[in-house]
Amino acid sequence: MKPSGPIKLVAELLDLPIMDKDGRYCGIVDDVELSGSAGKEMRLHALLVGPGAYEGRLPGWAFAVTRMIAGNRITRVPVNQIEKIHTVVTLKCRAEQAGLNAVENRVRGWIPKVGAM
Amino acid sequence: MNPLELTLGVMTAVGGFVDISELVFAAKAGSLFGYALIWAFALGTIGIIVFSEMSGRVAAVAKQPVFNLMRHRLGLKLGLVTLAASVLSTLITCAAEVGGMGLILHYLTGVPYLLMAALSTVVLMATMWVLPFKWIERTYGLLGLLMISFAAALVAIHAPWGKIAGGFVPHVPGGLSTKEMLSFGYFIVAILSAVLFPYETYFYSSGGIEEQWGPKDLGTNRVTSIVGMSLGSLLAISILANSAQLFGPANVGPEIPGSAALEVAIPFGRTGLLLALLGMLFAIAGAAVETCMANAYSVAQFFGWEWGRHRKPWEAPRFTVAWIAFFLISLALVLTGIDPMNLVEYAVLFSILVLPLTYLPLMLLANDKKYMGQYVNGRLAKSLGWLFFAIITAAAAAAIPLYVLTSGGQG
Repeated sequence: MKPSGPIKLVAELLDLPIMDKDGRYCGIVDDVELSGSAGKEMRLHALLVGPGAYEGRLPGWAFAVTRMIAGNRITRVPVNQIEKIHTVVTLKCRAEQAGLNAVENRVRGWIPKVGAM
Repeated sequence: MNPLELTLGVMTAVGGFVDISELVFAAKAGSLFGYALIWAFALGTIGIIVFSEMSGRVAAVAKQPVFNLMRHRLGLKLGLVTLAASVLSTLITCAAEVGGMGLILHYLTGVPYLLMAALSTVVLMATMWVLPFKWIERTYGLLGLLMISFAAALVAIHAPWGKIAGGFVPHVPGGLSTKEMLSFGYFIVAILSAVLFPYETYFYSSGGIEEQWGPKDLGTNRVTSIVGMSLGSLLAISILANSAQLFGPANVGPEIPGSAALEVAIPFGRTGLLLALLGMLFAIAGAAVETCMANAYSVAQFFGWEWGRHRKPWEAPRFTVAWIAFFLISLALVLTGIDPMNLVEYAVLFSILVLPLTYLPLMLLANDKKYMGQYVNGRLAKSLGWLFFAIITAAAAAAIPLYVLTSGGQG
């Protein structure tokens, strides 16, 4: 499915995992940004990724807890970076080019690179 | 299908089938109710075959493990509730396994149990760090095949095969008081929970993706699920039947894992005892690794992190931090001094509550032709899937009342 075609947001896009062009997981579609207005044609503009996008999807207290643990960052992935939407959303670019995987890369620095087969 | 890979896969499934909960509940069930609960193991085994085959097929075709599906299908709110409940139940199960390893190593060496639990955790973490996925799975699965000593013991004690065969037919033994009936009901629920632990499906489907399964591997998936798990279940049934034959008539209550090892010691002496304890040790170690990895898989998949042990630990850094943290929390639970047998009770109780939420999204996706194409659930898989979904939902509804009414199966 192409992001420019008709799409059922909840059934076919929301909460799908995102994979970059190298096949690396780099987030989940936590929310979406749409252009247009209610009653007219609406177009998918960007995917919103990160715990900050949970606001409005979780009860207030649950979002407050999430924000305390994971912060409230949101990364916006423009629709033109999407290659395909199926059981995962595949990007045309590397995760870093879409602004994703920042935490993953920070944590990578903590892990000693020794001893594993 | 590569015959060597297939044989190894089946043997790994056999050796990895039994964990501490099955061990404890099989031995207790045999001692209390004779052969009357064999059918509960058989029923649970059909259920785990149905769901494992389905999760392996979804992994191979849709390339999606269970937790990715769960969040997409249940949504963020219900998905988070399921994640929290599942992580908690699997964490308790992992702690029970770590405690079980400590106990068995204590029997083998005489070194204090808590020290052995800590040492076990260090060894498990080291193997997880050093070995890639396939080797981790196979090492513990194949060493767990020493559990075959329980089946050999059953043959050696000249078990009443007619009575054992009768145990496969669902029935309630006659002459039970109301309290005993409730306790019998509690054991049915606990056995179903122990055989169908949700972590098994998370681990199995994630493992399929770790091994890069595709549609060409569906035959391997089917044979591994059906043959491996059926043979593994026979080991659990052997423990129950040995207990029914040896402990029940003598009014021995096998409350701790060490008692189950006596089932092999009686016909085979010291060597049998050693084989049984080593088999239990490796089977439980395998389950500890599976539970810990299942939790790390669940969290990583839910939040879209890099995951998998086919990658080096620094290539999936948050996944690595997660499994290390889960091992350390499990050990911390054991070090509080809580009785590992209580952990086993809590593990089966919490797990059965999570089971319906685990299997519903899996069923929905495996039934969805858009994702699964020609590999969508057929009539048999669909019927069995919904049947077992109804069974586990009923078991989940009955679990807490039965636990309270029987004080955890004590009657």
